[in-house]
This record gives sequence, structure tokens and C-alpha cells, in this order.
Amino acid sequence: MKLRQRISLLAGAVLLLVLLVCAGVLLLYARRTILSLAEDQARDKQQALANSFSSMARYYAVSDDSDSFRESLVRYCFARFADREGVLIRDGDILLSSVSVDPSRYAQPDRQTGDVGVFRGPVDGRQLLIVGSQEWIYNETYYVGLVRDITEVYDAIFRLTRLFLLVCLGGVALGMGLLFFVVKGSTAPLSRLTAAARQIAAGAYDRRVQAPGRDEVSELAASFNHMAQAVESRIEALTEQNERQRLFIGGVSHEFKTPLAALSLHASLLDGAKLSDEERADSLRYIQGAGAYMSRMIQSLMSLLLLDRGIETQPARPAAILQEAEQLSRRSLQSRGVTLQVRCDDDDTLPLDATLMVSLLMNLVENAARSYEPDAAEKPVFLTYADRTFTVSDRGRGIPSEAQGRIFEPFYRVDKARSRKQGGSGLGLALVKAIADAHGAALTLESEPGKGTAFRVRF
Amino acid sequence: MENRILLVEDDQAIADAVALNLKIVGYRCTRFEDGQEAADSLAEDHGYDLALLDIMLPGLDGFELLEHMKAYGIPVIYMTAKADAASEIKGLLDGAEDYVTKPFDMMALLVRIEKVLLRTGRLNRIYRAGDVELDDYHHAVYKAGARVELRPLEYNVLLYLMKHKNLTVTREQLLSDVWGFDYMGESRSVDVKISSLRRKLGLEEAIKTVQKLGYRLEDR
Repeated sequence: MKLRQRISLLAGAVLLLVLLVCAGVLLLYARRTILSLAEDQARDKQQALANSFSSMARYYAVSDDSDSFRESLVRYCFARFADREGVLIRDGDILLSSVSVDPSRYAQPDRQTGDVGVFRGPVDGRQLLIVGSQEWIYNETYYVGLVRDITEVYDAIFRLTRLFLLVCLGGVALGMGLLFFVVKGSTAPLSRLTAAARQIAAGAYDRRVQAPGRDEVSELAASFNHMAQAVESRIEALTEQNERQRLFIGGVSHEFKTPLAALSLHASLLDGAKLSDEERADSLRYIQGAGAYMSRMIQSLMSLLLLDRGIETQPARPAAILQEAEQLSRRSLQSRGVTLQVRCDDDDTLPLDATLMVSLLMNLVENAARSYEPDAAEKPVFLTYADRTFTVSDRGRGIPSEAQGRIFEPFYRVDKARSRKQGGSGLGLALVKAIADAHGAALTLESEPGKGTAFRVRF
Repeated sequence: MENRILLVEDDQAIADAVALNLKIVGYRCTRFEDGQEAADSLAEDHGYDLALLDIMLPGLDGFELLEHMKAYGIPVIYMTAKADAASEIKGLLDGAEDYVTKPFDMMALLVRIEKVLLRTGRLNRIYRAGDVELDDYHHAVYKAGARVELRPLEYNVLLYLMKHKNLTVTREQLLSDVWGFDYMGESRSVDVKISSLRRKLGLEEAIKTVQKLGYRLEDR
């Protein structure tokens, strides 16, 4: 059963119960009031009848009147006041009555106190109110009764009860109807939440619910939206990561194609073609070159993958790092006419992985060396450390501003042809970035085309 | 006259291998590493029968270069590391004749080159090795100017060897490409045809036996 149906039914039942109890209490009170009013009226009437009758009878009656005269007198007096309700009885004989009931059987006055007797109840299918008293007139006891038919009063009470019940039921029905809509209105956000949750489960991660207000449902909707937001951004992050990995793998396989093509072409030349000794040597040289290029790339890839697992740092002196990077780079730089100028201004220690840091600096130095045209007259590269910052700068061709944002992406090359010709794997700067990130160091670059570039690694 | 092929490829290792291969099977090959330079050179010399273009090139890329080739009616085969379908479709829709992705097999590239040349009516169907000439237009073979009669299978084997001059062709290649895929015969049939070719045309020296593999018609 739906929540709104259950709430409506429950509320309807409670409403019905409360209304019934209230109506019952009211009805009982009204019935008692009406009946006691009727009884009081009947008592007053009977009192007036009895007093008027007995006064008149005593006034006219004389002790030596004959029995028949006295009886006539009594009858006459009583008839004057009896209307159609009075009953006069003497010694069990009904002297005067306009009703078919003997009231003395139902309402006997108290003989000791002289209080009137009152009866109320059904007689012969009718509701009667009977009041009776004893009156003494010249040693004779008369019973003065008043019989009032109050069936209509009871009928009115019954009609009233019926009306009350109808009003109650109508009220409950109306109340339940109203409640149903109110509850439906306040649980509508829940239905929307359900629908939204289904859509999100089906992949519509940007779905949100509207639930204005400050009640629990709105709070739930807000929490729901919050959760959906979290799911969406997580999914986005995962998708982006997936896409990055896909591009990376695509890049890797693409990068391997050219050297592989060269390798297989030359291998098949060596295998199947008639070649001169010189051509044979060339082919072998190309095969070796392609192999070396691929192994360099694999080394860089491995370093990148290993970096993902985190690094261990130890306090190290930047001065020593600079020295090692210089020693390892010198030979390859000298052969290309590049001069490396090293300066260390601060002799402090930094927490770092020395091997990786040397590799980072060598990559930057190599990158700087490639920024010069091969026939440039001077090719200075500056490697410095000061103020917790390593800086590698050159006065080469610089990096165009539109390329600066992408330069650290794997396999991104500003000038594809030249970079590959110079032996660049397209992974050097990506590796630099990954090493800097692993150390928690900030890597920035400043470059002006034609003037040169400076890379900074700030701890 | 030999067919002339324009090769534009910036990777020296691949350019060298392809150029060498083209040269030894009898094509004349002109090489460029820069797309712009290749396009500029067309103004002076555009007598090429075919162009082999890389796509990612310095200067002009292969797609741009294609327009220059079309201006001179030079058919183009792309030869690229871009293996995605979108690039291939673009290349072919733009008007390239064929598209091969690196790494590729040189034999397959030679077949594609020959098909394109044949389709565009540019294939030189006169082949020479030493003093032997095969005129595929007239289905005739000459030895030092004198006509030599060959049986059909012998002719086809010789044509295949001529097309792959200086390259080793295996018995399996000959069986499948000359006899046909369905041929269930033994590789002995190949050896029989080769020896009769050697005898009839005096090619004992030129047709080399490559141990356990096949034969090579040498002419260098």
C-alpha cells in the first residue's frame, strides 16, 4: 500500500473515532438535558394540577356532603385543570382519565415523604412520562397523575443522533479526501525522488529533484541531490581518468608504430633483398636505432607507472643533486655544443628521492638543449637552485603560449617532426610533471617565443 | 620507361627502407621529408606516376598535400600511423587511392602500388632484368632482342619474379599468386618451372635459389 494511502486511512480512522466520541458525549448530554427539561415541565404541570385541583376541591367540599355529590365535585374540580393529561384515581378506581394507561401502576409517590413518583419509559409501544402524587381531601386519598406522551421527544433525539452520525461520517469522508490531497502533495517529492533515482541508476547522472520548503522531504531531496552530485562528479572523474588512460594507451601504441614499421621494413629488406654492404649496414643501424628508441620509451613508461605507486623521500642536498645531473648530462650535451651552467645558492637539504630528482633535472636539461636550432652559435642551458626552487632555463626558441598548457601531456609535441628526429619520446615532460607531483612540488614554466624558457620546480 | 614514385615521409628510417625497396624492384623514387617542400617541388617536376604520402608531416600535412597532387593528377597512397577509421575515411573520400597503416608489409605495399598504377593506366608493363625483357602488353619475352616462347605458367612465374626483382619470393607466394589459392600441388612444380626458365632464358646466375625459402631474380 502506498504511503499516502496508508497515512490517509490511518488519519481517517483516528478522525472518525474522535468525532464519534465527541458526538457521543454531546448526544448523551443533549438527551439528558432534553429529558430532564421535559420531566421538569411535567413535574411543574403535575404540581400545578394537583395544587389547583386539591385547593378547589377543599374549598368547595363540606364534611357532610354526600358521597355522590363529593365525587361529582371532585370530578368537576379535577376536570377544570386536567387538560388531556390528568388522571384522577381513588382507591384504585379511575375517576377521570383521558388516557388509556393506569399511571398509578408506574409512578407511585413515596408514602413516607410524600414526594411525587416519576416514571419514564415505554408503555404499549409509546414513550411515556408519568408523574403521580397523593392528595388528601376529607380523609380520602386521591392519586393525581399526569401522563405525558414524549415519544416525539425521543423521536427528535433519534433524529438528532442520526444527523450527528451523518455529519460525522460526512466530515470524516471530507477530511480523508482533503488529507489524501494534502498527503499526496507533501509526498509528491518522494515520487519525484523515486523517478529521479531510477533515471540516475539508468545513467542520467545530471538529474536533480526540486523540493522547495524546509520539511523532512525537502531535506531528503537536498541530501539526495547532494548524493547525486557526489555520484556525478565521481563518475565524471572516473570517466575522465578512463579517457586519459585510453588516450595514453592510444598514444603509446601510436608512438610504437613508426619505429616498429621502420624495424620490420628494414628486417625484411635484410632478410629478402639483394643489398649492397652499405645498404645492409644502414638497415642494421636503423633497426638498432628503432630498438633503442623503443627501449627508451619503455623506460620512461615504466618510470611513469612506478611513480603512480608513490615514492620514498630522504633528506638530500640540492647541491649534490645538481652535481649528479650535470655529470650525467655533460657528455651528451658536449657532443651537441650545448654548455651547461650550474649554480647552487643555498646549501640546505630537501626531502626528495635523489634518483628521480636527477632524472627530472636531466629531462628538463635535455628539453632545454633541444630548444636550440642545431646550427645555433651558442647553446647555453642554466641549471640553478635557490630558495627551495630548482630552475632550468635556456635562450632557445621558446614555447608558443597555446602549447604551454599541453606541454606536460604525454606524447604532446610542439613540433612533431623535429622532436622525433631529435630522439624525443614525447614522455620527457610528462615524466617531469609526474616526478614533481610525486614530491608535492610545484612545477611552473615561463616562456617567451624567441627568447627562451624557464622551468621551475618549487618545494 | 620506369614508373616514377614520389615519397613524402619524415621518418628517415621508414623513408630509407621504402625508397630502397622501390628502387630494387625497379621504380624510380624521389624523396621529400617536408610536405611544403614536396608541394613546392611539383611546380618544376610533376611527372610522377604515384605519390606515397605520410599524413603527419612537417610543413604541409598529408591531407593538404593531397590537393596539390590532385592538381597534377598524381594518384596517392597514404602511408600513416593514424590507424583510426575517421582518418582513413577522410583520406579515401578526399580522393586518395589507398591507405596503409604502419607498420605495414612491404610486399603488400608493392601490390597496392601496382594495383593503383594498373587502375590509373600508368603501370609500365615492360620489365627488364639483365638482357631479358618481358613485354606484358604483348605477352612476349625477349632474350637479347630475340623472342623466346614460354609456356603460360612459365610466363607468369617470370612476370612475378620481375615484379619482385631483387626480392626473395617464397615458393608459397608463387603457388598462391601464380597457381592460385586453390592449387593443391607441391612446391616441386615451382622448382620445375624455375629450372625451365633458367634454361630457356640463360638465367642460371640471375635466378638465385634462397635456401629452404624460394628464389630471387637478381639484377643489381
